[in-house]
Amino acid sequence: MLNRMSISKQRTIIIVSFTLIPLLLLLTFAYYPALQLIHLSFTNWDGMSQEKEWVGWDNYAEVFNNPDIFGVFRHNLAYFFVGIVQNLFAIYFAVILKGKLRGRNLFRLLLFLPYILNGVAVAYLFGYVFDTTNGSLNTVLGGIGLPNDTSWLGMKSLVNYTLASIGFWRFMGFNMVIYLAALQSIPEDLYEASSIDGANGWQKFRFITLPNIYKIIELNLFLTVTGALEVFDLPFVLTTGGPAGASETFVMKIISTAFQFNNYGLASAMSVVLLLAVVAVLSVQRYFLNRGND
Amino acid sequence: MKRKVSLLLSAMLLLTVVLAACSSKEKEETTGTTSANGDIKGKIVFLTNRTDMIGKQYNDYKKRFEEKYPDVDLEFEAITDYEKNLKVRIASGSYPDVVLLAGGIPNSDFPKYFAPLDDIHFSDDLYFKDLKAFEGKMYGVSSGSSTVGIVYNKKAFAAAGITEVPKTLDEFYAASQKLKDKGIVPLASNFKDKWPLDAWLYDVPTIIGNDSTHQNKRADSDAPYGMDSVYAQSWNILREMNKQGFLEKDINSTNWEQSKKDVAQGKFAMYLLGNWVINQVIENGAAANDVGFFPFPTDNSGELKAPLNPDFFYGVNKNGNVPAAKAFVQWMIEESGFDDFAGFIPTLKSKKPQLAQLSEFNSYNPKFIEAGPSNDTATEINNKAQIDQEAFVQEYVLADDPAKVLDKYNKMWASAKKSVTGSK
Repeated sequence: MLNRMSISKQRTIIIVSFTLIPLLLLLTFAYYPALQLIHLSFTNWDGMSQEKEWVGWDNYAEVFNNPDIFGVFRHNLAYFFVGIVQNLFAIYFAVILKGKLRGRNLFRLLLFLPYILNGVAVAYLFGYVFDTTNGSLNTVLGGIGLPNDTSWLGMKSLVNYTLASIGFWRFMGFNMVIYLAALQSIPEDLYEASSIDGANGWQKFRFITLPNIYKIIELNLFLTVTGALEVFDLPFVLTTGGPAGASETFVMKIISTAFQFNNYGLASAMSVVLLLAVVAVLSVQRYFLNRGND
Repeated sequence: MKRKVSLLLSAMLLLTVVLAACSSKEKEETTGTTSANGDIKGKIVFLTNRTDMIGKQYNDYKKRFEEKYPDVDLEFEAITDYEKNLKVRIASGSYPDVVLLAGGIPNSDFPKYFAPLDDIHFSDDLYFKDLKAFEGKMYGVSSGSSTVGIVYNKKAFAAAGITEVPKTLDEFYAASQKLKDKGIVPLASNFKDKWPLDAWLYDVPTIIGNDSTHQNKRADSDAPYGMDSVYAQSWNILREMNKQGFLEKDINSTNWEQSKKDVAQGKFAMYLLGNWVINQVIENGAAANDVGFFPFPTDNSGELKAPLNPDFFYGVNKNGNVPAAKAFVQWMIEESGFDDFAGFIPTLKSKKPQLAQLSEFNSYNPKFIEAGPSNDTATEINNKAQIDQEAFVQEYVLADDPAKVLDKYNKMWASAKKSVTGSK
């Protein structure tokens, strides 16, 4: 049947039919649920009943007025700070491992490896590292004469940074690989030319490397910020939000609101707010990074 | 990820269709054989949560039951995630003759789906007759119950020179001190994991107040978590234990799986948990004779009390093969031996539990306090206030000023109560 049609018609049919399936899947499993989420956020649905009563902006008012809900974002800040440091380290290692270092492939592999591990497995692993009485970290600290009874996961002031440091260990290699790819795409002759002009290492980094990987820094910061806002698996497995809620993150709060307290409407509103928060942070970031660029 | 989800969903959809098809066929068969004169015959299906017993104990149950009732064909169907799936199947009208009732179905809905079971003549009085009842009719029979108390390692007690189990709170503290002096951690709280604190949240307050309805009674109060409430009294014991160093060295860094081994080996001496944990300690290497169980003394009166909490309830589909299903429920309670297999306290009041530790527990003559039905208003207020009571216990125990913590939660409760009861 296709043979009788013109080439361009055949092409259209093929293209449409091939894109139809992924589009359909995308619409069914990404956009339709998203629209439903927004719809639910204006109702007081309890997860079971047939009726979903329309409550207008009540849920949103609750999200912003209840300090117990919005306040948990403070816990996410730790992940954000550590994420920035993580990116600095990633650039540093990328620059070093791009050079002619002996065994650089091994180091790249070692730094990247944690990213491959499953998040829950990582959480369990670090449960044994940070255990106060039998943990390896405290044993090592005790071995070199430092205090060996720090409660890494039990101090309210420390727990989020402890958890964020696991994220650092896990994602730094991933950031590094992205930076590395960007660095390798910078033509060598730029560096050569600058060497002839007498530029030192820092100047090369400042005026050649940095401008060339600007877009990639932006991408990595985007990943870091969304990661920090959406942290869930580490505290969920390691501390269950404890001690006394000090390491509860916003996503954990959403989950308990919906599935523990049967307040699906409010939880949906919280999800939408999280979505908007990511967009807002991104816009601010883009504004500052792109100033004077375009 | 997205693809995985879609695959899973379509698989689930397919499964639901297949299941629905199967069960609707089943129902036709069963309803076809239900006779008006109440003869016990035909096919019945029991929807169970014990997937582990399929092909093992259930084969034996089938043989024994069909020996007694030769005209009945008994089938078992096991599903996981029972409560959620049962709700779906009841909603679609395709649930078999005998099911297990759990939470999630309000008592007022029972007459719509289930047959009253008052006309089964049990050989003795039952526990929890009124829990799954509506307008004076009983729709559920408890499959067995469990209690909460101190599970302890007898060797650890002997090593610390404790010859008799403590009968008062002071004796309990003194025993803990002896254990601590021996380098044994007296009580494994598993504080970090939250759920082990349920005993301090539900059961210890029940013992202290001699009343199992304390969670419901919160609905009548604007400040249910006062300084002299059963909650504060219960949590003060835990606070004191922590202050004296009678719990794990760092209660924010505990490990549940490891704690079972430690209790089995006598590095930790006690748990405050349900009797279900006894078999788990034994599985982790303790000799069955070395594990004991006694009621938790919450005061110095010497009067011991213990909560009695029901497990799942048997319910009978009112559109199914009712006479045979009722015979099956009676047989499960009186003859199957399921309660002993599961390590439950039997539902028949006069029947003695087989688990040695439960016999020891009963030898201290505790007064059992039966759990009561839950109250929707209290749950609704709690959900509205979003009070995670386990995290509340943690906060109270860790706080420098516990009164402040109580104040905070009382305020949350009061404002939620206002909006819940005000809107009605």
